[in-house]
Order: sequence, then structure tokens, then C-alpha cells
Amino acid sequence: MSGLRRFLHTPEAVAGVVILAALFAMALSASLLFPGDPQSIAGPALLPPFQDWSLPLGTDRLGRNVLAELFHGARTSLAVGLAAAAAALAVGAVIGTLAGFAGGLIDEVLMRITDAFQTVPGFLLALAFVSVVGPSLGVVVVAIALSTWTGPARVARAEVLSIRERDYVAGARVIGMHPLAIAFREVLPNALPPVLALSSVIVAAAILTEAALSFLGLGDPNRVTWGGMIAEGRTVLRTAPFLSIVPGIALVLTVLGVYLAGEGIVETTAVKRGLS
Amino acid sequence: MSLLTASNLTKRYSRGGKTVAAVDDVSFAIAPGETLALAGPSGSGKSTVARLVLRLIEPDGGGIVFEGDDFLALGGTALRTRRARLQMVFQDPLAAFNPRATVARVLDDPLRIHGIAPRTERPRRIAQLLERVGLAAALAQRAIHEISGGQRQRVAIARAIATKPSLIVLDEAVSALDVSVRGQILELLLDLQREQKIAYLFISHDLGVVRAIAHRIVLLDAGRIAESGDARAVIDAPRSAIGKALVAAAPRLDRNIRQDGSSTARQS
Repeated sequence: MSGLRRFLHTPEAVAGVVILAALFAMALSASLLFPGDPQSIAGPALLPPFQDWSLPLGTDRLGRNVLAELFHGARTSLAVGLAAAAAALAVGAVIGTLAGFAGGLIDEVLMRITDAFQTVPGFLLALAFVSVVGPSLGVVVVAIALSTWTGPARVARAEVLSIRERDYVAGARVIGMHPLAIAFREVLPNALPPVLALSSVIVAAAILTEAALSFLGLGDPNRVTWGGMIAEGRTVLRTAPFLSIVPGIALVLTVLGVYLAGEGIVETTAVKRGLS
Repeated sequence: MSLLTASNLTKRYSRGGKTVAAVDDVSFAIAPGETLALAGPSGSGKSTVARLVLRLIEPDGGGIVFEGDDFLALGGTALRTRRARLQMVFQDPLAAFNPRATVARVLDDPLRIHGIAPRTERPRRIAQLLERVGLAAALAQRAIHEISGGQRQRVAIARAIATKPSLIVLDEAVSALDVSVRGQILELLLDLQREQKIAYLFISHDLGVVRAIAHRIVLLDAGRIAESGDARAVIDAPRSAIGKALVAAAPRLDRNIRQDGSSTARQS
């Protein structure tokens, strides 16, 4: 309870949570407020914002409702961001735990694989993967996870290296627990807090990577994405800059919200752990 | 016949290019139901011997025969199965448990791993174990960090006896406890020994406690055996230099917990 209160007394954290809550509300209400296909034509083309109150943010080059696209785009951004971060954290934590706990050859092999992934620029890797396999939401998630799991893996390994020398791990061996059970039941849960602290950075990076892929036309073509909207607006940047600016602002606010809320959570839990 | 025989155990560490023998040519035997004390100053290799005996670390040389089998030759499942017979209680009762665990989970693990009781039976067995070490069965639902140090060490003992071991290694098991609790835990250990014929490898730097509960003693100094023999004889009249130094440094303990002087174990 005091953790929550401390959290709510941090203005940045509250701002982050408010932005995220608004984003979730947008994502969840998208098909209620804007039923039907957001990519269908709703009015005259290139209507500027705040002219027609049935189309508050105007229309794009083909006459699609920008506000509806924005709401539906929130879904994609959130879904991709969260799914990719979850996948990256899960894969990273498991690989880092295995490497740190097993040591020796297994550690060496797993960490060299991690090195290999880390030396390739993450965005290039995602780009290559999507262009080979073909753009769809699942592939984009996998592509982003592929380029971000190395960070959590390294943090998890470092943590596991210190945890595996603790008495309770020796105790688990003494009672005859299987090494894999020790790694995943005794060690991994205790190595998680610093790994989870990375999650806000990874979610923010995943949302940006998804937007960048969509901007380059490698997003899921059947979904509205903010990156795709920016790319659409680019062709008419001089005459209708709002088409790029509106989704751009949404993107910036989202990443900021994720970041602030994440920092707030990390800060609150760190203080809590420091006190106990 | 001895329960555990360690012969010529050696463990070396290399530090900065130099090789240091933490344990050098150490041999001893423990009879069933016997308490063998392993004493010595800090850094004498006591805990390394404990970890070698438990195969938490592998020796560079020497052999361990446990219950008639070459313990060092066991591996994988065979080793894990045999671990039920050879348990350990750690010095720091807080560090010895997963910080997220509850008392029930800590005691459930050995029962589950060694198939000692089916799932439905286990809560009852956990309650029995807790009662055996003098704790309320209701404690099972508490988290490890919520109970006191003395209670934690009782839980550690309950976990050690859950698999019906023939030998328990007590690595400074009472050193971190305050004096009143220490006496109670020692009483509990002696009760369990009488009742279940468990042998103890009792590692301690406290000769007062050693004299009170151990049958025989091995004094270590810098990884080598300095002196060994009957615990009281050695402590009352040490011959080695390190023995004399340790006895001189030890506070007097006038009360003996083991009143009978001899023991049941020595006949075996």
C-alpha cells in the first residue's frame, strides 16, 4: 500500500500511467467508437483537422478518418510493443539463466550466440527477418524480439552468476533437486527483478522499431499502424503536415508514457527493497 | 563398519598463479549414529571438507565411501537419489532458503523429489516434521523471512530429516544463533540422534559446543589434520599447537549436555 502511495507521489510516474491508461482506453475502445474497417473511406480527401466535427482530426490522402486510424493504430503499437518485449524478456531470461547456471561450455556457446546477435544492429536484423519471412503482426513481433533479447540475457546471466553461489542453491542440490529445477524454480525467479527493470526500455524500443518497420512498408499491411500513417503522410508533407504530425505525437507520447511509468515502478520497488 | 570414510581428500585452488591446498590429505571415518566434530580456526578448510563430503564441490584427490558405495563415482540420478541419505544444515538459516519460499514449500521439496509421500499425504507429513522439531504445524503457511532465526534453523533441521538420512553435515549450524536458542537446537539434534541413529559431521570453531555433543574430533589447521581422537580427551589435553591455541581461546563451558559420557554409537 505504501508502495502505491509512494508511486502516486511521483509526478512523472503518474503522468506515465495516465498516458498509458489513455492509450489502453484508445486501443480497447477502437472498435466500439470506430466500428468497421478504419482503412475505408470516410469523407473527402485531405480534410484538415478541426474542420468537420464528425472527422475531428480530418482525413488523409484517400479520405480515411485519421482519428479512427489513430485509435486502431494504438492497438497495433501496444500489441506489438508488449508482445515483443514479453518474448524478448522470456527468451533472454531463460538463455541468461541457462548460461549462468550451467557455466562451462554451455555458457560459452550461449554467450557467443548472444554476442553474434548483439554485433548485428538490431534494426537491420529485424528488417532482414521481416523482408525474408514476409510482413505480418506475428513476424514483426518475432523480428523485434530477435533484436532485443540479448540485453535481458546478459543481465539475467550476471545476476545468476551471483545467485548460484548462494547457500540455498547448494541446499537445493543437497536435497537432490534436478539441476534444471534448481535453475528455473530457485534461481530464475530471484534473478528477475533487474531483468524486469529493462522492460520499459524494451517496450519503448519495440514500439519505435515497429513504427520504423511500418514506415518502411514492412508492417502488417492489413493493420493500421502509426508508422504506416507517417509514411502515408510523407508524400503530402508540405500540403498536409498534420498527417505525419498527429501519429508522430501519438508515438512520442506513448514511448514517453511507457518510459515514465516503467521508471516509476522500478524506483518504487527499488526503494521498497532497500528498506526491507 | 563405518558409515562414511573419507580418505586422503585433497582440494586445491589456484590463486594468482599459485596453488593453495584448501584441504590437504584429510582422512576420517564416521560410524553410524556417531558425532564427529571437525574443528579448527577460520580458513582451516572445515567448510571445504563439508562441501567435498556433500559433493557440492569435487575433490582433486582422495576418495569417499558412503554406506558402502564409492560416493565419488555416483552421478546424475544415482547421486540425486543417494543424496536423500546425506543431508546438510547451513550456518546462516536465512541464506539457506530461497527468499521467496514458504515453510511448507521448503519441506515439500524433499518429500516430492524423493517420492516419500504422495501429494495428498504431504501436508500431514509436513505438519509431523514441524512438530518433530518443536514448531507449530500452523507455521507451514508462513514465509521463510517471516519467522525467527531459531525457527528457521528448526525448519532447516526438519528439511534435513525429511528424507530419513543416515548422516547430516552441520556446517556451523548453531554458530549464528543466540546462546539460549543454541542450547535448544543442540538438545533437538541429540534427541534426533538418539531416536533415528543419525550420524553428524559437526563443523564448528566453538570447542565448548564440540565438547558437549561430539564423540570424536578432528582438528584441522591450514587444510591438514593437526590432531584427532576422543573429543573430550583432545579438548581437555590438546597435544598439537593449534589445539592448545583453540582451547586457550575458547570460553569455558561447565555444563555438559551429553551427561552419559559414553554413547550408544560407539558400540557399533
